[in-house]
Amino acid sequence: MDVSILAINVVSGLMWGCVLGVAAIGLTLLWGVMKVVNLAHGELLLLGGYAIAWLYVTYGLNPLVGALAALAIGVAAGAAIYWALLHKLVGKVDIITLRIEMSTLLMMFALSIALYNVYSHVTRSEPRGIGLWHVGPTSVVKFGPVAVQMNHLFAAVLALFITIAVHLFLTRTMVGKAIRAVMQDSQAAALVGIDPVKIKMFTAMLAIGVTALSGFLVLLYESSIIPGTAYKYAPLGFVIVVLGGLGSILGSFIGGVIIGVVYGLSKVIVAELYSPMASDPIALSTAFVILVLVLLFKPEGLFGRR
Amino acid sequence: MVNVILDLKNVTKRFGGLVAVDEVSFSVRRGEILGLIGPNGAGKTTLFNVITGVYKPEGGRVIFKGVDITGMPAHRIAKMGIAKTHQIVKPFNDMTVLENAMIGALFGKRSGKIGMGEAREVARRMVEFVGLGEKANHLASQLTLHEKKLLEIARALSAEPELLLLDEALAGLNPREIEESLGLIKRVNEEMGVTIIMVEHVMHAVMNIAERIVVLHYGRKISEGSPEEVANDPEVITAYLGDPSLALRFVRRRGA
Amino acid sequence: MSRAPGYLKSPTLLLIVVVVAYILGERLAGLMTLDALMLFMYFLGIAAALNIIMGFAGYVSFGHAVFLGIGAYTYILLVYFVPTMNSLQKMGAGLGVFAVAVVAGLAAAAVAATIGAVVLRLRGAFFAIATIGLDFAALYIVKGVVPTLNPEQFYGAQVILPSWAIVPKEDVFNAMLLTFLLVILTNYAVRRSGFGMGLLAIKEDEDAAEVLGVPTAKYKTIAFTLSAFFTGMLGAIFALNGGGVDEGIFHLGHSINMIVMIVIGGLGTVSGPIVGGIIYYWLYDLLLIHYPGLNLVILGIIVGLVVLFAPEGIIGILRKLTFQGVRLRELLE
Repeated sequence: MDVSILAINVVSGLMWGCVLGVAAIGLTLLWGVMKVVNLAHGELLLLGGYAIAWLYVTYGLNPLVGALAALAIGVAAGAAIYWALLHKLVGKVDIITLRIEMSTLLMMFALSIALYNVYSHVTRSEPRGIGLWHVGPTSVVKFGPVAVQMNHLFAAVLALFITIAVHLFLTRTMVGKAIRAVMQDSQAAALVGIDPVKIKMFTAMLAIGVTALSGFLVLLYESSIIPGTAYKYAPLGFVIVVLGGLGSILGSFIGGVIIGVVYGLSKVIVAELYSPMASDPIALSTAFVILVLVLLFKPEGLFGRR
Repeated sequence: MVNVILDLKNVTKRFGGLVAVDEVSFSVRRGEILGLIGPNGAGKTTLFNVITGVYKPEGGRVIFKGVDITGMPAHRIAKMGIAKTHQIVKPFNDMTVLENAMIGALFGKRSGKIGMGEAREVARRMVEFVGLGEKANHLASQLTLHEKKLLEIARALSAEPELLLLDEALAGLNPREIEESLGLIKRVNEEMGVTIIMVEHVMHAVMNIAERIVVLHYGRKISEGSPEEVANDPEVITAYLGDPSLALRFVRRRGA
Repeated sequence: MSRAPGYLKSPTLLLIVVVVAYILGERLAGLMTLDALMLFMYFLGIAAALNIIMGFAGYVSFGHAVFLGIGAYTYILLVYFVPTMNSLQKMGAGLGVFAVAVVAGLAAAAVAATIGAVVLRLRGAFFAIATIGLDFAALYIVKGVVPTLNPEQFYGAQVILPSWAIVPKEDVFNAMLLTFLLVILTNYAVRRSGFGMGLLAIKEDEDAAEVLGVPTAKYKTIAFTLSAFFTGMLGAIFALNGGGVDEGIFHLGHSINMIVMIVIGGLGTVSGPIVGGIIYYWLYDLLLIHYPGLNLVILGIIVGLVVLFAPEGIIGILRKLTFQGVRLRELLE
């Protein structure tokens, strides 16, 4: 087996993994803090991506500025979703958390069907992107034998920045600390004067804001998005959340990197041992096999606490 | 020889570093009411969960009717004739009172050998026995706490158990309800011949009804005997009051 | 409720009779196409199949598309590659199709029994997420493997039945009707059995059920397997009617259809998936005609409203009502 092919796949998997990791942050926050399993995650991610693409194509807005707009749209959507869809369900005092989990899961699932089909209707399922704004998929950087696409590298570096920023927000600011307190023990947090309703709303705003922002990275990485992109990133997001542990930002990032690298590696191996034609789908399936294994044998995740 | 129905031998249950039940041994005689008491966190509920098979003990044996049931799955232990009521009531809320009890009948001692019709009859009898006859067709979620506790007992009895574990069946009830429940527990013991172990915090109640008492403290058995013996055991009083000198004074005053 | 004349007093049984009479009536009158009638039965059937594990035991499976897919691929590949199976499916005016579909259902059931024994240890959202994972694992594996089976003939993972493997539509209809009846009556039988009571107890409180003697692990696995069996059969006949199968059968959307029907109708009852299925089919049709493109958006909003304001579904609401002193709950099971 050619070593450079292996290296290229591992490095490209690594960079994709960074994007995946950030794309899962919003998911892990909602689940960890509010016990909301966000089945509309992929669609909310695309909300950001579509906003950036639309602003760029229609008004020529720089996608970097567009990304900030996506963040703002996501934050606003987070507040709206919290009040319109979730508040009544998560506010309920029900000793069986299972019921809360299932009802919010179905609710977000309803949102997912609705949004997905709005996208399909509006875009007629045609790809949307930011054209050649970024240096273009043809431009590459060489590290020895490994050639790296510029847009991939840019997305990975941004991913790292966003992860650090969210981590700092959660550890250094008052709101962030309160969110972490509610995540650990919602009742105890209420006793020391933290208003859980407010914090849950902030969590939804932060989580969906970051989710929409990560739509920018997906846009950069994939060059263009279609409604079906949601069906790629949301399920992988669940794998990463479970792998990294509920509510863990760094766990999410590392989980993303692991999935990305495993994907890159298995692609090479399957191509070599079985069939190049089957390599991409089967490499993707490994992520879900990992998911089921982790759920069964280490349900608290690799870095999570229970 | 005394007929022993349940025999615990050096039962130990750990959660990580915490030893919740520590080498506990005692026997339960067929037909008696045994009180199991101890301060919060003494390991009483954990011990119940070991007996019913919810938890697997790290050490020791649980012998029921001469059969080693240690580590058996909970549903098989239930079938052998051990039933339990929960400290925090767990009725099947979306089922009627009668249906709740039917679950007990269908999967209890006669599991697999009882039809729906017969199960319904057993359930109805038990629901009436505990005094919920008029509410048989109400949803369990519509009951008061007291009624939910009675339902727990009816559901457990429908399994036709030989040994019934009552986990704080009196907690949260008012004095009149406690009196009623005590009467019911006595009837279960006397009329149905069911052996009972009851974990209880309502001290005067358990002292009143139990023939023997076992005291747990920090997972260990610190005393066993008749209610009088246990009440005068300095170690027990220390455990409850936390201060040996205070305890001694307490004993002296009672002795005087 | 007294038990003896229960048949006449049970609206559930009445509902089943009405639905079957409607199907047969439409078939004789010929107003609806065979395809439309089959889609109707398919919708109600998959909802009833999932109901066994989701409605009764409370385990929301997003992975049932896997069993649809296994059933469909097993059937199509069997008649494609095994000549005896191809001749079998053409016998007995649909009975042959039914027989091969049973084999396909058994394949799905075997996978469910194997997977179920482990995955059913997970609860609530974790179970749901694991089944989503299974769905995507199956999707990507089939996408990878099937094209390599016969690269000259297959287009990607798509297998189209050649003309020599096509069965008359009337036969397919008969097989579908038979399977539909089987799954509905199984639902009814399960609901009225001790097994069904055990499943309902698991849905309400699994730990309490286990302590009461319900063999929870065994019951869940049986329910999951039974549910997968019927799902596999329906997937097989659906694919046969469509003349082939592709990886789209594993699309999460199929699992979602089933879940939505049960949520609309109400969990834990036999009539829930039937009523939910009828409404869903009707909405699907209506919205598709009047709001093409936005039909699923509206459907999503309806599901959201149901979760917010009627979490028990339509049958759940009806069960709470009282009619002439008799609580409807006792009638609707």
